[in-house]
Amino acid sequence: MMTAALEYFQFVLAPQMLIGLVLGVAVILVALGLTIIFGLLDVINMSHGEFYALGAFIALALASIGLPFWLLLLLVLLMMLPVGYIVERGLIQRVFHSGERHVTTLLLTFGLGLVMEDAFRLAFGPNPHKPATPIAGAIDVFGVFLPLYRLFLIAGGAVIVALVALVVYRTRLGAMVRAAAFDRHMAASLGVPVQHVYAGAFAFGVALAGLAGVLLAPIYSVFPTMGRDFILMAFTVVIVGGMGSIAGVIVAGLLLTQVQAISSLYISPVWSDPIVFGIMVIMLMVRPQGLFGRLGHG
Amino acid sequence: MADALTRSMRASHVLAAVLVVAALIFAAVGAAIDDTFYLRLGTEALIFAGLALSVDILLGYTGLLSLGQALYFGLGAYLSALVLMVTPSFWAAMGATLIAAIVVGAIGGFIANRVRGVYFALITFGMAQIVAKIVYNTRALGASDGLIGVPVINVNFGIASISSASPVGFFLFTLAFIVVLYALAAYLLDTPFGRLLIALKANERRVPFLGYSTVTPRLTAYVIAAVIAALSGALYPMLRGFVSPELLFFSTSGNAVITAVTGGVGTLVGALYGGILLTVLKSVVGSYTEHHLIVIGLLFMGAVIFLPRGLMGIVRPAVERWLGGKVVP
Repeated sequence: MMTAALEYFQFVLAPQMLIGLVLGVAVILVALGLTIIFGLLDVINMSHGEFYALGAFIALALASIGLPFWLLLLLVLLMMLPVGYIVERGLIQRVFHSGERHVTTLLLTFGLGLVMEDAFRLAFGPNPHKPATPIAGAIDVFGVFLPLYRLFLIAGGAVIVALVALVVYRTRLGAMVRAAAFDRHMAASLGVPVQHVYAGAFAFGVALAGLAGVLLAPIYSVFPTMGRDFILMAFTVVIVGGMGSIAGVIVAGLLLTQVQAISSLYISPVWSDPIVFGIMVIMLMVRPQGLFGRLGHG
Repeated sequence: MADALTRSMRASHVLAAVLVVAALIFAAVGAAIDDTFYLRLGTEALIFAGLALSVDILLGYTGLLSLGQALYFGLGAYLSALVLMVTPSFWAAMGATLIAAIVVGAIGGFIANRVRGVYFALITFGMAQIVAKIVYNTRALGASDGLIGVPVINVNFGIASISSASPVGFFLFTLAFIVVLYALAAYLLDTPFGRLLIALKANERRVPFLGYSTVTPRLTAYVIAAVIAALSGALYPMLRGFVSPELLFFSTSGNAVITAVTGGVGTLVGALYGGILLTVLKSVVGSYTEHHLIVIGLLFMGAVIFLPRGLMGIVRPAVERWLGGKVVP
């Protein structure tokens, strides 16, 4: 009886949970930017999935001129920051101060996403590109065959998330961000350059999405609509975790991807999407603020 | 003395009349040269304009952004297709759609109206996604292929009947149908109930102080929008002879929002003009390049930034001035 349970865990449950963990880390990376942008700017970034794709496409273009993968990680991050900054100052700020900020910024970023997606198709064609895996080989974890790159992704993702949390909660810059999120007028009168904090946070959020795009490209391939499938899950994670909460994204990201992974053992995997969205709708009904509080609020 | 709202709605009616005249000329020309393609395209534009109309009722009047109107549009389309495949009766399909839309709309409205603002947008989005995924994976509903082989029907009015296979006949019928939906929506929004919706949009907290419930009008507006979206959707299988799960996807909801916003929210007639503008743009730009989404996306972004009141934001005040009376912006 005991050994049967152990074997079930080792050969059925554990592999599925590991696959879920890889997806979980990936979703957390994308959702992290989304939640920071919402927590600070109150903006639902509908083009977040396209920024995720943008990172992957920049990496694809740079890799074609022979740059190594590890350099790409840094370069994409550095290139996405000014892009995000310009988008915030040039586009989002134009509709940011209207009465219906939620609606106008959502519509604007939705339009931006459409344009970006089609631009990718124009520049790179509709077919998927699969970059070579930067780390070849695989190892056995608990008798589970796990490619090394996925293991690296889990570790690397954890480091990135830890760094982001460290910056937000333990540095002066992070304190300014949290202050601006809590009360922008008060923060501004205390000398926080709120305009730059806003644009900087948006840039940082989309740069994180771009970084996720580079990291995930060797696993999920690069194609113009790659942002779409992923962003739905990221939105769900942000809502369940609490919009604007970093801890919420981590907890909800791990939880939901595990639900998805484990439920697909018992019911057809095609039903995992309705289950995840069902959780999102129920969460919005009973506790729209999510599991955790907002950035800067407690 | 008519107030500002009545005057601006009167301008909307004039613009709607202009649209009808233009559509009649289009139909006459189409019939004269024996065209099928453009008449069918025009019919489809009108059907999607009906969907945009439902978005405008929610966004323009009640201040609720729905990212999931495709749910009701698809509900109408699938139900109408299913009914027509059993019994090719227009009235049976429409009756079933109407009842289902009221029931599903009331359930959806009950769920969605528990939250406000951005959460409302996300919850409608989530609900539509759930239904889309379920339909996409249900063999009985054709799964990813959709339902094909919806028979041609005759819309029977007792004295006359119109075949859905006749391009010009069905175009005119759809035109009349959408105009009736527009008129119905315009009438409802001009009643005290409609004023209550506008009050809700302006300041929801103050409405209870005037002695009104906020729950009932919001739910009613949601159900009305659901019914309009579903009835428009019910026409789709009659036109195309099939339904596909794409009708339920986010792109359908998103396009409806683009249509309503580009045309001009809060004008009703803007949804109709927007629907036609977008369809024309798609087919014109689409004949030069397959990347029409860039053009439409840029146009939409431009509308959001520079023309928050959409196309009708420029046109309608001019019509109001022409009709006489002071224009209150």
